[in-house]
Amino acid sequence: MIVAERKPLGEIIGFIEDFRKVLVIGCGGCATVCLAGGETETKIVGSALRIAARKAGRQQQILEDCVTRQCEPEFVEPVPGRLGDENIDAVLSLACGVGVNLLAERLGDVPVFPGLNTKFLGATAEPGVWVEMCAGCGNCVLHLTGGICPVARCSKSILNGPCGGSSDGKCEISPDVDCGWELIIRRMERLGTLDRLVEIAEPRDWSSSPHGGPRRVVREDLRQLAAEAEEEKATTA
Amino acid sequence: MDTRAAPEAPCLVACPVHTDTRLMVERVLEGRYEEALDLLLEANPFTSVCGRICHHPCEESCRRSKVDAPLGLRQLKRFIVEATHEYRVRRRGPVRRTRKERIAIVGAGPAGLTAAQDLARAGFGVTVFESATEPGGMLGTTIPRYRLPYDVLREDIDDITALGIELRTQCAVGTDIALAELQREFRATLLATGLSESRALGVPGIDSHGVLLALPVLRAVSVGERPPLGQRVVVVGGGNVAIDVARCARRLGATEVTMACLEAREEMPAWEWEVEEALEEGVKLATSWGPRAVLSDDGRVTGLELRRCVSVFDDDGNFSPSFDEDETSGLAADTVVLAIGQAADLTCLKGSSVKTATAGRLEYDPETMTTSERGVFACGEVSTGPGAAVEAVADGHRAARAMHHFLDTGELLKQAPREELPTIGDLPEETIERIKQRARVEVGRSPGEERVRDFSEIERAFTEGEARAEARRCLACTTGAFVDEDRCAGCLTCVRICPFEVATVTKTASMPEEKCQACGLCAAVCPAAAVALKRFGAERIQEDLSRLLSERPKASPSAFIVSYCCLFETTSRKFLEENPEDVQRTGVARVLVPCVGRLSVPDMLLPFEQGADGVSIIACADGECLYPTAEERLGARVEEAKRILEEIGLSGERIELWRTRESAEVSWTSFWEISRRKLAGIGAEEQGEET
Amino acid sequence: MKSGSNLERVLAAGHFAVTAEIGPPMDCNGDVVLEKARLLRGYADAFNITDCQTAVVRMSSIASAVLVMREGLEPIAQMTCRDRNRIAMQADILGAAALGVRNCLCIAGDHQSFGAAGRLKGHPGAKNVYDVDSIQLVAILKGLRDEGRQQGGDEIEQRPPLWIGAVWTPMGDPIDFRPWRLAKKVAAGADFIQTQGIYDMELFRQQMKQVQDMGLHEKTAILAGIIVPRNLGMLRYMDAAVAGVSVPQELMARMSAARKSAGDDKAQARRNQEEEGTKIAVELIEQARETEGVRGVHVQAIEWERKVPEIVERAGLLPRPTPPAEA
Ligand SMILES: Cc1cc2nc3c(=O)[nH]c(=O)nc-3n(C[C@H](O)[C@H](O)[C@H](O)COP(=O)(O)OP(=O)(O)OC[C@H]3O[C@@H](n4cnc5c(N)ncnc54)[C@H](O)[C@@H]3O)c2cc1C
Ligand code: SF4
Ligand code: SF4
Ligand code: SF4
Ligand code: SF4
Repeated sequence: MIVAERKPLGEIIGFIEDFRKVLVIGCGGCATVCLAGGETETKIVGSALRIAARKAGRQQQILEDCVTRQCEPEFVEPVPGRLGDENIDAVLSLACGVGVNLLAERLGDVPVFPGLNTKFLGATAEPGVWVEMCAGCGNCVLHLTGGICPVARCSKSILNGPCGGSSDGKCEISPDVDCGWELIIRRMERLGTLDRLVEIAEPRDWSSSPHGGPRRVVREDLRQLAAEAEEEKATTA
Repeated sequence: MDTRAAPEAPCLVACPVHTDTRLMVERVLEGRYEEALDLLLEANPFTSVCGRICHHPCEESCRRSKVDAPLGLRQLKRFIVEATHEYRVRRRGPVRRTRKERIAIVGAGPAGLTAAQDLARAGFGVTVFESATEPGGMLGTTIPRYRLPYDVLREDIDDITALGIELRTQCAVGTDIALAELQREFRATLLATGLSESRALGVPGIDSHGVLLALPVLRAVSVGERPPLGQRVVVVGGGNVAIDVARCARRLGATEVTMACLEAREEMPAWEWEVEEALEEGVKLATSWGPRAVLSDDGRVTGLELRRCVSVFDDDGNFSPSFDEDETSGLAADTVVLAIGQAADLTCLKGSSVKTATAGRLEYDPETMTTSERGVFACGEVSTGPGAAVEAVADGHRAARAMHHFLDTGELLKQAPREELPTIGDLPEETIERIKQRARVEVGRSPGEERVRDFSEIERAFTEGEARAEARRCLACTTGAFVDEDRCAGCLTCVRICPFEVATVTKTASMPEEKCQACGLCAAVCPAAAVALKRFGAERIQEDLSRLLSERPKASPSAFIVSYCCLFETTSRKFLEENPEDVQRTGVARVLVPCVGRLSVPDMLLPFEQGADGVSIIACADGECLYPTAEERLGARVEEAKRILEEIGLSGERIELWRTRESAEVSWTSFWEISRRKLAGIGAEEQGEET
Repeated sequence: MKSGSNLERVLAAGHFAVTAEIGPPMDCNGDVVLEKARLLRGYADAFNITDCQTAVVRMSSIASAVLVMREGLEPIAQMTCRDRNRIAMQADILGAAALGVRNCLCIAGDHQSFGAAGRLKGHPGAKNVYDVDSIQLVAILKGLRDEGRQQGGDEIEQRPPLWIGAVWTPMGDPIDFRPWRLAKKVAAGADFIQTQGIYDMELFRQQMKQVQDMGLHEKTAILAGIIVPRNLGMLRYMDAAVAGVSVPQELMARMSAARKSAGDDKAQARRNQEEEGTKIAVELIEQARETEGVRGVHVQAIEWERKVPEIVERAGLLPRPTPPAEA
């Protein structure tokens, strides 16, 4: 999942303090699962903002909402209407950056602010601890590395690791960070495929990664039919 | 949607009148004793009686039994009635007669009086005919006072008679007034005459002087007579009546009292605790013996000859004793009392066309509760056979429904003799292991040798503190967590946090009811706010808060504190009673929570939104928490809430976590005092920072 | 000859090579570099010019290399994969070659979070690159030199004559994989190898045994890394905090004894330790020299370059040979 973390409330208050009526919108997807931006966190942030406004003597209304997933147009569709109906003049999104982007595209002249710092694609390592496991590089190499990602889990993303900084299974950057290459080697050892690492991995083609520019994925069989697109155009026009 | 009725706690289900004992316990914990009484009386007008002598099937089925010992539900009931006496007197009063139909009830025992209550409440005119001088049936005339003082019974009866029922005592139907006359005068008649005759025994010598029947002996005792039984008394029988006779005999001065019964010790029909108590009082048992002949000298009893009983029941479980005539024994006796069962006295039928079946029993349809005559119903022991008081009450309710229906429609209503309710499964082994044991609060009894000196009550009631301590043990069955599947994100947080390993997730979470301990830890952390608790959930906290905070002291002299307190640590109602003036005066608004471990971060922040200056969370005393890990979890959540306050420029110290010392009454006030002082300092500091 | 560099020639002539290190300054003062160059001239065959070591911004390695060349020293330009992508790397190396740099050491580089191990601020917030790793860089340089082709495939006309180096941490974790990683570097085209600092000579020899079994020592010139210990604190730090470096108890004890022998006299304690450290360095060089498969030493006297001459001298490695340039 996408793992995110709430921004410091002080920073958030800086975004919204000049707005009269602010809607905090949580997300029921990854942001909920990583305990950063679901119903409950929305309540917490809403509550904290109200307390802060009260303390500062600001006349400010903080409303809360939580949508199923902020990364789907259908789910965020009702939001603009609500903003208009209730004269809301700013939105704080507790989704990952995707949700903020999608809202920004759809909210007309109402500003949307990020309430979370979107961190990475990761897994739960233990309750309350998440670790990055994939960097979304666009051209997966896990078949070469025993299923452990060198891009995301090696601090230097090197493909012919480990570098000289590996020590006792930990990365040179911190004793809290596992050396990805140590993991790869141990895994491949168990798989009996360690000898494959003797091959030199060639410099890779990063064009599939964010370095190649904004990416998109298309499933032709599920795309909107031409007629539907026409119709939509007609109705929105 | 699931259309099955929601399962109920097993204690409720086991109770013949389905008293919501689970809720009763909750009301005790919350200090709402009056409401507890209301719910008890709703189910059972003989609540005071049942608080003393009920055979408490609720306790027998209490799920706590597997952990350590069942809840003391009967004693809690007794506590409630004793704690609410004045309220009870106040709530008493007549009901409005709304129906012109009049109903006659024969017999003022628990069955008849319960039906009378229900029908009177339904607006009918009710007249109860009772041959005895006082109402109450067996409860008043035979159950010995050391178990059930008459005043206690009277309290229940007063509720019923206050409704505006006409009670005609010393009026035996069949003798003083004919049943046929009742049938003419009343639209419907209910026979609730019980089993008032003791069965006799056909053995040689039975006519000897000194052979007595159980009920007459008990009746005499109950009106304060002291029938001369002599030093050595043999009671024939192994049931509860026999026990009562034996124990009365000890109290009347008999030194050697022996119960001779067909059954082996473990087969004895008497309730086990009754047998124990009898043994404590020096009653001896001669089990697996049957009477062969009464020995006498000059027509006066000298003893009882016994033969070995080898089995009591046949292969089909029917009563059919067989004896080994070669093995005999004898017991010397001045008196032999026969307590081998009761039979109906059907003199009330005299001259009527109501038919009897075999063996002096009514012809009776157990589903419609009617006799052979239209409009003549029967209930209680006269139709069900011997049982317990609460079963007679249940049957009374049932009869009232049947008659009400009959009077409304002219039709007969079919009702199953016993309403079966769905309940939750047993506690699984692995859950039992995780539940903390907590000893049942026992009031103890005075020693047997002291008890036999007179007929005074042998058991005392719970003190308030004891009642609350006992109530705390309730597992609050069926009130645990449940998930709103539409909201659940399947994040597994509940699974990871649940100390009882209850929650599981397949797509969405579920918390099987039979495992959930209702600790609320999962609900406190569910990021989707998808977990609700049937007992004291987040919405309850919000309600409590908004009620209390609407009364926020306008110009509070010092800090205003919201205090979330562990409900379980209160030994009295002192902190439970809502007192708006108190809030005004002390600046402390209390929200009592059954385990503060269920408080979420939003719960901790909410008071600040509503103007509180500080939040004092008071947990239970060290090691007292019922729920594993709850203390640590709460501590970590408090830290999180503090961080949030810090992030918005308030001192984290505004939230404080206390542990109760000794009890709420001993320590809480001082916590609030300390918090208040501290908050004054914090306020000044924060002001300073700003300027 | 692949590059004709002095280092290549010394090794080709069968000499036991000596390289040393020059750390550029954090500002644009080229005199500092020239100064160090003058100090060290003649004491080693080539001089590594570090590339923003420990992720601290310093004068660029190539620029500093050109400076030391003015003083007649032969530089080994270092190039980390941290700061440049393959485009910048190739551009820089072509430029360096044009300016006369003949040796290049390819390294991954310390992670930017290092910030001089906390002594300086550094730039922990920097974005790193790691477009290619050090092994890939070796291969890229080899491609430029031997195939006249850039990594992307474009042909080049004039090929850079480079003596390509890589580093090796023989005792790094996972230790069993280290010889294999060396093999990859060699396969990628590393002409010479400089190792991480070695104190545990015994363990190093075990690793070298494997390297020899794999025949790697014949395909590349391995120079053992010697980090001159200045005092007990430094030894302890190296042992505890530097990946792939472990200091045997015995060396620690010697240094500790040296410090203690001075009693309360702090200055004396420092001198004692420096002397002991120098001794240790000299001994290590001698042991390295006796280790089969080792063809030289790389002497690092971190922030203490002036000590190098004495050490090289005491190790009996002077004068440095001057093999003739190839015709
Ligand atoms: C000795 C003894 C001890 C018991 N101990 C317990 C105990 O500890 N716990 C427990 O739960 N249960 C106990 N019971 C059982 C309990 O008392 C009965 O289950 C219950 O009283 C039955 O109620 P009922 O209304 O059906 O009949 P009863 O209580 O027998 O009431 C019937 C009433 O009808 C009256 N009546 C009879 N004939 C006529 C007539 N012709 N005209 C007018 N009135 C008439 C009788 O006088 C009596 O008042 C005990 C019973 C006995 C005998
Ligand atoms: S190789 Fe790329 S896609 Fe595969 S896990 Fe790593 S970052 Fe993700
Ligand atoms: S634990 Fe409580 S709710 Fe459950 S059966 Fe016992 S008394 Fe009833
Ligand atoms: S914690 Fe809440 S959202 Fe997560 S699995 Fe449990 S019920 Fe679902
Ligand atoms: S955490 Fe508590 S309330 Fe939630 S499922 Fe487990 S036992 Fe039930």
